[in-house]
Amino acid sequence: MFAIGDRVRTKVMNPSGHTRLPAYLRGRPGVVVWDLGPLPFADARAAGDVAASQRAFTVRFANPDVWGTDADPHGSVCADLYASYLEPE
Amino acid sequence: MTGIDPLRDALTEAHMSRIHDLGGAHGFGPLKIESDEPPFHHEWEARVFAINRLLLRARCYTLDEFRDAVERMPPVEYLAASYYEKWLHGIETLVREKGLTDVRDR
Amino acid sequence: MTHDHDHGEGHGHVHETSAGASNRVKALVADLERAGMMTEAELDAVIETFLVHAQPANGARAIARAWLDDGFRARLLADGNAALAEIGIDLTHWSPVTLRVVANEPARHNVIVCTLCSCYPLALLGPSPTWYKSAAYRSRVVRDPRSVLAEFGTTVDADVEIVVWDSTAEVRYLVLPQRPSGTEGAPEAELAALVTRNGMIGTALV
Repeated sequence: MFAIGDRVRTKVMNPSGHTRLPAYLRGRPGVVVWDLGPLPFADARAAGDVAASQRAFTVRFANPDVWGTDADPHGSVCADLYASYLEPE
Repeated sequence: MTGIDPLRDALTEAHMSRIHDLGGAHGFGPLKIESDEPPFHHEWEARVFAINRLLLRARCYTLDEFRDAVERMPPVEYLAASYYEKWLHGIETLVREKGLTDVRDR
Repeated sequence: MTHDHDHGEGHGHVHETSAGASNRVKALVADLERAGMMTEAELDAVIETFLVHAQPANGARAIARAWLDDGFRARLLADGNAALAEIGIDLTHWSPVTLRVVANEPARHNVIVCTLCSCYPLALLGPSPTWYKSAAYRSRVVRDPRSVLAEFGTTVDADVEIVVWDSTAEVRYLVLPQRPSGTEGAPEAELAALVTRNGMIGTALV
């Protein structure tokens, strides 16, 4: 599992169903900034598994890692992501 | 409906996700900032809000199923709908799919 | 129900006539009542409770307390739910959400958004404004927050980093603005009156 400060990378995916990993954050490197503990796991709950739960982490992405050179380099985006969206970088 | 199908298909093909997944998209123009905005613009919007709360509280569906139902809206309709029109669509979809008004004993 | 015109722009609320939506809601309520799922009185009670309890004054009170009390500020940043319970605000009234308060600093400004739907700390900020839920805000603020802030007349210095928090799970964000200068000695209620909703979203400074 991940810890605050760990470098991670979001998985590349394109599921047909419900997911809370936004397309703009797929396949991006980031850093874990908060451990949210277990949260209701949206992807499975949307498919009918109402008890599904999964540990989630807040991950910070530097703007250049998300937008290339087309965004303010002095900024970042953070998102709350389930463990199954993440891989160690 | 047939008139918008080619556009709908094109949107679905072009987009790497469902249409709700808007982060980073271009072309939506400037914000429309309304001063002294009321909580609801129409009585029916408040009703839609309350229906959803009650159905969630009664565990008729989860918040995730509700979001999923909104996201399954055809892309062209999603982009054209107001916020509470999207909610209404999501609730109607789940009520129909789960047969919530078909049976009396829950 | 839908019109067969094509439009990529989110001019939204003109798409369906409000009368059309209103009639659909009436039919839906009638069906749900007939099935014994809810009553008109229950619907009215939900709306009234929401409008009474979901107020930006709640968020403002927490911010003013944090400005005055370093211990409360530290607890608010470490565990928002516990800190708000201290001042009598229950965030889990409707659903279990984790509150995360993010503090503006001289070199860092925070902005909140939900790109996927429109997650928002309702209990602390009241009903969300339409712009927060719009495609324009959700699409652009993650990519170009300074241009979005400019539309609110808000300028953040170029050497100040902007961090955008995309609420993608059951966590709700609240921005803790910097305390305005010249407010030394002001009591909590006076400070709370300075805190705006947009200041707690991050599209305005306080």
